Amino acid sequence: MAEVDGEFTAFVNERGAALLRVAYALAGSQHAAEDLLQNALAKAYVRWPRIHGDAEPYVKRILYHDQVSGWRRRARRAEVPVAELPERPAAGDDSDLRLLVRDALRTLPPRQRAVLTLRYLEDLSVEQTAALLGCRPGTVASQSTKALARLRKLVPGLDGLTNRTEVTR
Amino acid sequence: MSTSLDETLRTAVHDLADGAAPAPDLAWRALGRGRRLRRRRRVGTAAAALVAVLAVALPFVLLRPRPAPPPTAPPVTVDPSPVIRSAPGPNWADGPLVLPGDWVVTGTRARAGAAGPSYLLDRGRGRYYGNDRYDAVLPAPTGSLVAVWDDGRPRQVGLVDVVRGTTRWYEPGRALGSPNWSPDGRSLLFTSNRVGHPGFVVLSAAGTVRSHAVDTGRYPCTDSCPFLWSRDGREVLLPQTDPNGPRSEAVRHPRRGVQFFAADSGRPTRFEPLPGDPAGPWAWSPDGRLVVVQGQKEPLLVEAATGRVVNPLPVADVVWVGDDRLLYRLPYGSRDFVLADTTGRELVRQPLPEDLALAEVTIAPR
Repeated sequence: MAEVDGEFTAFVNERGAALLRVAYALAGSQHAAEDLLQNALAKAYVRWPRIHGDAEPYVKRILYHDQVSGWRRRARRAEVPVAELPERPAAGDDSDLRLLVRDALRTLPPRQRAVLTLRYLEDLSVEQTAALLGCRPGTVASQSTKALARLRKLVPGLDGLTNRTEVTR
Repeated sequence: MSTSLDETLRTAVHDLADGAAPAPDLAWRALGRGRRLRRRRRVGTAAAALVAVLAVALPFVLLRPRPAPPPTAPPVTVDPSPVIRSAPGPNWADGPLVLPGDWVVTGTRARAGAAGPSYLLDRGRGRYYGNDRYDAVLPAPTGSLVAVWDDGRPRQVGLVDVVRGTTRWYEPGRALGSPNWSPDGRSLLFTSNRVGHPGFVVLSAAGTVRSHAVDTGRYPCTDSCPFLWSRDGREVLLPQTDPNGPRSEAVRHPRRGVQFFAADSGRPTRFEPLPGDPAGPWAWSPDGRLVVVQGQKEPLLVEAATGRVVNPLPVADVVWVGDDRLLYRLPYGSRDFVLADTTGRELVRQPLPEDLALAEVTIAPR
């Protein structure tokens, strides 16, 4: 048991920060991210003898599925409200636009945010994203489309940008 | 603009992820939570969610009623040779998955942490259909309603009538917990998790929403506190913490019983001194005399009126499918469904199709 605890602790110490970034992108707040990650790590700990050689992918799968499936998300997803629509940034002001998009990302439903996180933080393809979330590639595409539509509504400045086919196919 | 949409989104997602502050004690806290989870799993509490309705007489001639054991029954013994049914084949979706006790699987979804589609039983056509339209579904235990959720409709729940082909969306309230269907499949019960607003919300099939505040100072509950339906669906109940028992976050909080409230008015009605938490309305025997609860340390069969422990059981998340028969799913290992007597002796095992071995399922009478 001490060996398991030692391996697990070493893993969390080494990879915890990277995993917390993913959890934060999914959950949108520090408290929710830590709760999400601790839950995933706890499940990994229980199964450690079987997954310790492949722990990081396992924890990530738990993170994504805990966030987008099951009932847990029902209580969590309304935690990051946006009081009002962000204003359109001045033309060419990329940093302002990034900040507005970042804030708008927090308002997306969990599945949509998970799709964008997998695609843009993890750099996964549509097919890889679908496989990890357990849905069809078409569902990933439709969720991407919904997410972009919502972001455009919240951040009108996105209208001026090119929408590459790979985002929504 | 000087950047593409892709680049802007990628940067924004990375910016969002960069918002995470260091969590220096993450390993220590995760280790603690993992140990608690392992401890709870070892005592068999993480059973699959079971949703079911009224009991059905058992047609199994192989099952012989056994007298109730004495109060000081020995630890649960397992019959070494239960009847083991064969697992349905790859074409399982073409017909209802019938369980011991003539119950049936009404829906499935991939468990957290695993990929996989969800399925719903179409009772009219007698087969399962994959769901890729809604983000979550919960079929009623009887009738034609299915509760559905769509991430594009935050705070709303939809009621789909699969016979009429209609869908209506409702907003029952904010910060609501996991819902439970009433035994008659006509009302959904939600636990209010709003800070400062403890209570429950009932959404009827007609769309009526009734919220009832509960004085948790008078009726205190700590640890896991979902409101649940009573067996007849006329009341809801809330576990009550024993204020005199020692509390630790490493174990379940001690219970002094469950408090009942009228489902239509929220008025307190009665109390049963149960030493643990029932899993749902079908935790009570058909005559209401016995009930299965998750005790602080182990699942227990107890007398409803007195709380007296009759005997321990292997699983707390059970449904009564007869006067002396329990149906549950093994929480680990094969995850078969098991029909057992009230001592926990296994009588029949029914494996699920290989596709569903890791899925969570809802069940109801056939």
